[in-house]
This record gives sequence, C-alpha cells and structure tokens, in this order.
Amino acid sequence: MEINSSKSDGFLDISLRPFDLSDVDDFMVWATDDRVTRLCGWDSFTSRDAVVNYFKDTVIPHPWFRAICINNRPIGQISVRPYSGGYRCRGELGYAIAIKYWGQGIVTKAVKMVTSSIFSECPNLERLEALASLENPASQRVLEKMGFQKEGVLRKFFIKKGKTIDVLMYSLLNTDLML
Amino acid sequence: MERNSFKSDGKEEKEGFSEISLRPLHLSDVDDFMEWAKDDRVSRFCSWDTCTSREDAVKYIKETVIPHPWFRAICINNRPVGQISVLSYPGEYRCRGELGYAIAPKYWGQGIATKAVKLVASSIFSDWPHLERLEALVDVANPASQRILEKLGFQKEGVLRKFYIKNERTIDVVMYSFLSTDHML
Repeated sequence: MEINSSKSDGFLDISLRPFDLSDVDDFMVWATDDRVTRLCGWDSFTSRDAVVNYFKDTVIPHPWFRAICINNRPIGQISVRPYSGGYRCRGELGYAIAIKYWGQGIVTKAVKMVTSSIFSECPNLERLEALASLENPASQRVLEKMGFQKEGVLRKFFIKKGKTIDVLMYSLLNTDLML
Repeated sequence: MERNSFKSDGKEEKEGFSEISLRPLHLSDVDDFMEWAKDDRVSRFCSWDTCTSREDAVKYIKETVIPHPWFRAICINNRPVGQISVLSYPGEYRCRGELGYAIAPKYWGQGIATKAVKLVASSIFSDWPHLERLEALVDVANPASQRILEKLGFQKEGVLRKFYIKNERTIDVVMYSFLSTDHML
C-alpha cells in the first residue's frame, strides 16, 4: 500500500477510527518503541500477547480510543479518558504516534479533529485536560497551538520507570475559543 | 472563655485553644462530628455533601472514615472540632496524597486548621515513606483555606478550571503541593 509521505500537511489523508484486533501489529510499531513511550504516561509493551490483552481489556471497550490513520492504516493513537463521580466534567487526552511520522503536523491534525467534536459527542464533558512531560516541548507546542491553556507545573505528579516526574497541566474548556 | 491564639510552653491549662491534637475518629464521636459535617458553611467548600441526619453521619464514619488510609479528628482537649485526612493514590500515582480538612465554624479564625495541617505535613512523609507529594485542591472562592496552605509553605501550582462538580456546578480549584523535600514555614 502506498503511503503518501509528503511533508506538506495538506497531502496526508489523516483519519481517526476505532481499533480492532487486526490492528495489533501496526499498534506494536509505536507501542513497543521506547523512544515514543519515554514521553508517555505508560511503558512500552514487550510482547504481542500483552498487546492483544490490552486491546481486549482496554482499547476495544474504551469509551473513546481511536487509531490515527494515514490511508486507513494506523500510525498512532489518540484517546479521551473520562473521569467519574465528582470529576465527570473532565476527560484526559492522550496521544502517541510512530517515530517515522513525527514532525509532520499529524498529531496536531488529530488533536484538532478531537477538540472540534468531543464536546458535542460527550455533552457532560466541560474540560479536556492533557499532561505533558516537561521534556516534551513538541507535545506542549501541539497543545498550545490548539488553544489549550497551560495551567501550571505539577511537581512529582507520577512515577515513570521508578522516577517521579514533573508535568505540565493543560486544559481546553468547552467554553474556550479555538485558535 | 479566654482565647490564647499562640502556643504557650505547655504549662497553661486554662486556655484550651492553644493545644490541638490529632487522633482517629470513632463512632462514639458522631455527635461532635456532626457539628461540622451537617453545616453547609463547612461542606460548601468541600468535595463532600452535608450530612443531613445522625444515620448519615454514622454511615459515613463506618464506610469512609474507619477504613480510610489516613483520617484524623482534630481535637481540643481530646474533643473533636474538625477533621483532617490524606487520601492515597494507587499505581503510578502512589507518590501523591491528597490533603483535606474541615473545622466546625465556631472554631474558625483561631489558627486551628493551620496547626493541624502543619502537624500532618511534618509527619505524613515518615508515616508513608513512598509519599513524595502532598497536594491540596482549594475552591477558588475559599481564600481562607488558600492562606493556610500558603502560610505553611505549600506551593501554588495553578488554577485548574472546571475541575469538579459540586451541587451541579463545575468548580475551579487552586492546586497546591508540598513535597517531602520542601521546607515547612
């Protein structure tokens, strides 16, 4: 299958769709890559079985988990995890794409697709938030470009590979203006 | 009754307000507990709802207080006048604990919450060696509580907008943190 790898944003046919089990091998391209997961809240998968279980337990039943596709082939993932109870007005945005697709504006496009529809799809959602590692300026720029507001640095907020990490908290409200 | 708002050297007995202590809250404390738990002026800024009956209060003590990872009554002369707690997080968030506190209105303005928070912040990191961050979320409309934390050296990290829902209204909160490596003022 030909994949148009033109660096000009407008020529890439980017779409979002749910994952299914047939996407496991494509998923493993980024999900087993430490260079990708280093900046994520989760750690690399180390086996195909682990990924299959993850698909069955988490990805497929998830309320909002999508493959970022080029010509319908998954090259990354984007998800909104809803909170419950008194926090049900919030959802956490997360995303990751395979290294060979970095630097081409793909994540920005995918985030824009989410932000332009998520609040109407999920009427209870008032706040979409995202945590970005302090060592991930590329991700910070995506969020800022998409109109997320930087709220502050949350110190020692979670443990990644045995080390506590500081993160930047961003949010986009259903009432915010989009850039 | 005389009110001594600063701590004496421990020899004065008359003024009961200068010394506070923390201890577990028991079912036998339910009537004292209701002094703050049934008061809208208290629960207004808390994430929990006002207790409307003694049965509610008993249920809350049985289901939430007693199994809680870290819940204490704030006492004056061993009599509960408020509560303070630290909630733990699981998994990759276990480095964090969330601080919460509430005092009965008749004891407001006497530095009791400040003393209680100071006691907790100075001891929780040795009680829980895995804890590195004590955080607190304070309603933006509650400057009295914000001042307590700032006075003690908690760092204000930012305003988190529309962070939770209370009585069908979304609330903005100020996020504060105190690390095991921070210096208490």
